[in-house]
Amino acid sequence: MASISLKKLNKSYGALTVVHDIDLEIADKEFIILVGPSGCGKSTTLRMIAGLEEISNGELIIGGDMVNEVPSKDRDIAMVFQNYALYPHMTVYKNMAFGLQLRKASRDTIDQKVQEAAKILDITHLLNRKPKALSGGQRQRVALGRAMVRNPAVFLLDEPLSNLDAKLRSTMRAEITKLHKRLDATFIYVTHDQIEAMTMADRIVVMKDGHIQQVDTPQNLYDRPVNMFVAGFIGAPQMNLLPSTIERRGDGYAALFDGRELPLPAHFDKSRIEPYVGRELVIGVRPENLHELPPADITPENLAPFDAVVELAEPMGSEIHLNLTAGGRNLIARVSPRFKAMIDDGVKLVVDTTNMQLFDKETERSILY
Amino acid sequence: MQWLRDMWTKEGPGIAKNAPKKTGLALFAEIFAREWWEMVKLNILFILGSLLVVTIPAAIVATARISVVLVEDRNVYLLRDFTEAFAKYFVRATLWGLAFAWAVGLGMYAITIYAAGARDNLLFAAPLTIAVFVTVFIVVIACHLMVLMVMRDMPALQLLQLAAMASLIRPMPALAALLFVAALWFLHIILYPLSVFMPATLNFSLGMFAVAFGVHRTAEMVLTVSPASGVHREQHAHDASHT
Repeated sequence: MASISLKKLNKSYGALTVVHDIDLEIADKEFIILVGPSGCGKSTTLRMIAGLEEISNGELIIGGDMVNEVPSKDRDIAMVFQNYALYPHMTVYKNMAFGLQLRKASRDTIDQKVQEAAKILDITHLLNRKPKALSGGQRQRVALGRAMVRNPAVFLLDEPLSNLDAKLRSTMRAEITKLHKRLDATFIYVTHDQIEAMTMADRIVVMKDGHIQQVDTPQNLYDRPVNMFVAGFIGAPQMNLLPSTIERRGDGYAALFDGRELPLPAHFDKSRIEPYVGRELVIGVRPENLHELPPADITPENLAPFDAVVELAEPMGSEIHLNLTAGGRNLIARVSPRFKAMIDDGVKLVVDTTNMQLFDKETERSILY
Repeated sequence: MQWLRDMWTKEGPGIAKNAPKKTGLALFAEIFAREWWEMVKLNILFILGSLLVVTIPAAIVATARISVVLVEDRNVYLLRDFTEAFAKYFVRATLWGLAFAWAVGLGMYAITIYAAGARDNLLFAAPLTIAVFVTVFIVVIACHLMVLMVMRDMPALQLLQLAAMASLIRPMPALAALLFVAALWFLHIILYPLSVFMPATLNFSLGMFAVAFGVHRTAEMVLTVSPASGVHREQHAHDASHT
């Protein structure tokens, strides 16, 4: 049992507080990812859980026991670092065995565990090689293996894929996800890469400036961001945020952006929108909700024409990212690779407002959730 | 210190899983390039283990044990494995060492006598040839026996039979290894004093590694065909089977 509770967890360096009153419940065997920009406190939080950073305030509870004062080695956790932190003078086998040796495990136990982990990670052929001969991906596997042999209740992974190239990173993402399912342990993973977060996590914790912004499943974070930071951070290309005003239109409402009228879907909670009538707010439109043609599966009342000027077209193979300007704002649209657009051309797109987001301009919080 | 850190953390080329395994001299060179520092340390251990003279056979066998592990590309904890092998094989190694020292000594004595006789009477060339052949064969048997001893626990008679069988089936690799050992010492002599550190750093361990490398395949062959193949393999031997 390795559920983890962070209760009002704080980290301060003198007068500077880098992690503020973090409350978080992590279930046993959950794969949770802390994500956020550099300096948001995600690694510090992880290191506090690991016992590598002293907790300034608050409680850290692992498996029902408060472990604030428990040394790192006694917390039944294993950590994988960004730079792998392998001992260069030891073979892969010895790197993996070292932790067990320190725990005075028997030679047979060490050998069995190292062999098992090596088999799972497909690094058996590397066991008697030194790290200097290994590629980044192989080193990463060894670092994972070193954590695995200890059979910890909790795995802490601090940006483990950051040093890998894009292709290998994609492969390793899948490997780590499979590993989590196989090991049935709690994984806490830190990354600044939102693709990693979206593809691997059961739940994502979005952090900024030492505060938790939102904790939710990847899809919920994407569909229902609680503030503009989360909306902009989750999703690539990021959500288009456009200052608008709200007006009544018959029974419903419409957002007005630089003379363009975007009808708000009927399923939006009217009581939440009503106070904003006549006021400025920020609407959020995902790039995939800007279409070159009206999609057949969207009801016409949730569609609105949208004129823009093409600044740049980035062909991605399966789609084109159109960098647009409209009303002095920059936007991005994901359109079909068959769509032909020249730079400085005016294009007529269609906005699907079904999943549009509305944010308070002052507080930057969503007014929908 | 940045350069030092970079040297340690710089990524390597990677090791292909399905790359064809090198064989023969290429494999020998690859293992040496990878393990030369372990061999230097092993050489020092051997010298330390041999200081009391009576412990020379045990030190030789312990060195053979480590060499076999290196050949099999298995994990080795040098000091621990050496001292354990030294203690484990001490009695057996000493007895076999005495027996082979006596046999080889007898052979050398016979060679000396017959060689002196052959100068005056060519009829002595025949026993001289036989003496040389038998002495060399005893040394080849000793090489196989030593490697077999550290690869599998078995009764003395069976060990001797398998060593003799291996020496009859494939004596050439063992002879090549012995030639390599001779060349190492020859090099040390002709390059002296430039080569003054060779015996202290590599000659014993590299020589033993060459013997283990040369003899290992034949040893595995005879172990496979012998009834002793059912006997448990040495501890940790199973990790070599994965490579």
